Amino acid sequence: MIFNSEISGQQQHTTSPVVTGGSVIALVYNGGVIVGTDTLCSYGSMAAFKNVQKIAQISKNTIYASSGEFSDFQQVVKELAKIDRSALQYDDGVHPSPKDYGNFLARLSYKKRCKINPLYLQNVVAGFHNGERYLALVDIYGTYLESNFITTGFASYFCKAIISNYWNENCTLDQAKQVIRECFKVLFCRDCRAHDVIQLAYVDEQGTHIEEQERVDTKWDFNGFKFRANEKLHTQ
Amino acid sequence: MNYTDILSSKFEPETTGTTIMAVIYDGGLIIGADSRTSSGQFVADRCADKIDYVHDRIFCLRSGSAADTQIIAKYVRYYIDAHAQELGRLPAVATAANLFRNFLYEYKDSLSAAIIVAGWDPYKGPQIFTLPLGGSVIEQKWSIGGSGSTFIWGFCDSNYKENMTLQEARAFVLHAVAHAMYRDGSSGGIIRLLNVTKDKIEREFIDYKDVPVK
Repeated sequence: MIFNSEISGQQQHTTSPVVTGGSVIALVYNGGVIVGTDTLCSYGSMAAFKNVQKIAQISKNTIYASSGEFSDFQQVVKELAKIDRSALQYDDGVHPSPKDYGNFLARLSYKKRCKINPLYLQNVVAGFHNGERYLALVDIYGTYLESNFITTGFASYFCKAIISNYWNENCTLDQAKQVIRECFKVLFCRDCRAHDVIQLAYVDEQGTHIEEQERVDTKWDFNGFKFRANEKLHTQ
Repeated sequence: MNYTDILSSKFEPETTGTTIMAVIYDGGLIIGADSRTSSGQFVADRCADKIDYVHDRIFCLRSGSAADTQIIAKYVRYYIDAHAQELGRLPAVATAANLFRNFLYEYKDSLSAAIIVAGWDPYKGPQIFTLPLGGSVIEQKWSIGGSGSTFIWGFCDSNYKENMTLQEARAFVLHAVAHAMYRDGSSGGIIRLLNVTKDKIEREFIDYKDVPVK
């Protein structure tokens, strides 16, 4: 895995991200694995690109999403797709499993971390293989963690409590979808870089299903919001 | 740009990264603001009221550091109250603007505050004074401020007309603030509108679902 910048000898060091994607939330459920993201790419504080699909299908039974620098996300998608294609050379019908992709990404991320030129991403690899659900987080340093539920970015602060209270690893697909929707509602209210249009994708025995983008409902018409303390202090 | 990425944990002071706007129309003025107070990437208050009362017909719109602008507004509210008591009649909007200006100018090295003072007085009718960072005072027929304003200069420049009616001005402010909230990550939530005339103040709460651009 050699990047063009390394061949030419010009070391590029990722200083800070430019175009960024928001939180990713992923859960296992009783028939597979589901991943949710919102559909916004921010340019600093500007909500520059809306309706962006940030969940990629890597193979028949693997999907990938990440938060962080969006160009790095697109590069990783290219690299992972290359692996799937090159497996065809062996012509034996054997394809990399979801875990193979997760492991590859972890090694790649660690290598780049050692060169102080990281992929500025928190990655989620999800899949379903031989009846087993697979879900893993690979962070910017190459730390690899398999888990039943994954949150990246701001969701790690706000959504773990919601997931703990309303989800279990054997819930139905609809229950898992509802939990993810609730998480994104909270994120939309409390994260400046979040958007209320989200996208869900799940992998089960039948394969990968990426759903249409949907808008989550948030409530703003509380009485306490309409009539703030200011009003009562200075009535006219 | 103060950008805090997801992997560092620097503390960002609470600011009203914001969109604020005031427009004079034929008979009064319309004030509009979003409702998001952010502390870095975190939304500290999703339903803030950025339209601060200064006097019965004088309001200020705050942007920059929430702490700085809140305390300055508190002082000016107090001074104007005392002044109005002694005067025995409604104070001039220019007086309030000047009091704000004194703070912003004398402490310009320590403060991060930009304010729009908007109101009606019996001497000159509806007026808007913009007070940017350094403490200058500029009277305008319409004013936009805050981080979200950068996204709507083109919209406002091409849609503003002199002597609009109340309905036109309200629609202008509503759509401008909505457009800014659509693109600025530091603005969002609901829109608060205020109509200031000689006879009355009318507050309006635009729920998120009624915001024209989402």
